[in-house]
Amino acid sequence: MTDQIREQLSALLDGELPRDEMGLLMRRLEKDPELRRAFGTYALIGETLRAPGGRIAAPSFAARVSAAIGEAPAIVEKTSTARPPAATVPLPQHVALWKRPIVRTALAASAAVTAVLLFRPDVTPVAQLEVTPANSFAMSASPTPAQSQRLAGYMVAHSQFSTPMVRRNVLSSLLAADPGITRVSYEMGQAP
Amino acid sequence: MKSREPGDEDAGLHAGTEQSDLELVRRAQQNERGAFDLLVLKYQHKVIKLVARLLRDPTEAEDVAQEAFVKAYRALGSFRGDSAFYTWLYRIAVNTARNSIASRQRRPLDYEVELSESEQNNVAARLKHDDTPEATALSEEIRQTVNEAIGQLPEDLRTAIVLREIEGLSYEEIATAMDCPVGTVRSRIFRAREAIDRALKPLLD
Repeated sequence: MTDQIREQLSALLDGELPRDEMGLLMRRLEKDPELRRAFGTYALIGETLRAPGGRIAAPSFAARVSAAIGEAPAIVEKTSTARPPAATVPLPQHVALWKRPIVRTALAASAAVTAVLLFRPDVTPVAQLEVTPANSFAMSASPTPAQSQRLAGYMVAHSQFSTPMVRRNVLSSLLAADPGITRVSYEMGQAP
Repeated sequence: MKSREPGDEDAGLHAGTEQSDLELVRRAQQNERGAFDLLVLKYQHKVIKLVARLLRDPTEAEDVAQEAFVKAYRALGSFRGDSAFYTWLYRIAVNTARNSIASRQRRPLDYEVELSESEQNNVAARLKHDDTPEATALSEEIRQTVNEAIGQLPEDLRTAIVLREIEGLSYEEIATAMDCPVGTVRSRIFRAREAIDRALKPLLD
């Protein structure tokens, strides 16, 4: 059995392991330091044959890199992902639907818009809106303090799921809802 | 077909290896940390050799290589798979080494150095002739042990491992060359590695 697993490891190094065998092998590797050591040695053998001489990594090197990276899932510059080789590989089933980035963003945006609409009783349907002169708008009514408090609580609870723009929009509504600010006017070419 | 790029040379890269690396990258991008650990294990020696040859003080090679791997991990989300993973990692390692040299010369570079293709080829060419005197007795001992172990292998295992590691052939190509099934090739290469691993173990433990 061990030989079979190590043979899979050898094939993985060569890029010859079928993808459907990879998942189980990865889980075994995470639990078995001897398997990881063997993988490192297999790589060293190839490296020595192709380019003998020069420095090699200390046995603890990979563990030090792993410790330096830390436990946090900190892939921060995420703009896109590597394209799957042949067939699209679905996300693991344990990644719940709501955790997927696009779904999370959509949920956060919908919730934020709903919150703004709910807590601004003066919002007029789009069809009834009139364009006011000089790009000004007025708030004729303010939410109650209890409503403001609920909105602030909502902001705190959901800010991690919303984009900066959505947060800014909701925050603007919150500020506008302050009883001390009943009218905001903005004239083109004039400082607010 | 993708053209070969700096960093591809002597990497033993072929389509299967690149695809396998991409699969590991994809898993790492989904925060499967074990996948990135395997990429470190796979390329650690190559990256350390690379930066050791670039640095004026090769004793810092491991620190700089470690920094390069950490940078690669943090930037993994931007890796789209347009080039081989090792080609991408190679660029990060070269940039990290150059930044390290610059910072020691009190001329810190806070930006990533973009190497033109000719610059990268120059670096690659220089590395071939600029082997560091820091090549340790251990690595020489490893080289000897690997060669001796290969010499003692049965011919079918020796041929399989040489065709794979030195010639860079795929299992299918080796199977054709040796006139045997692909599964037999896989088994022969594994058994060759196991024999060499046993010979190396006393040195590496």
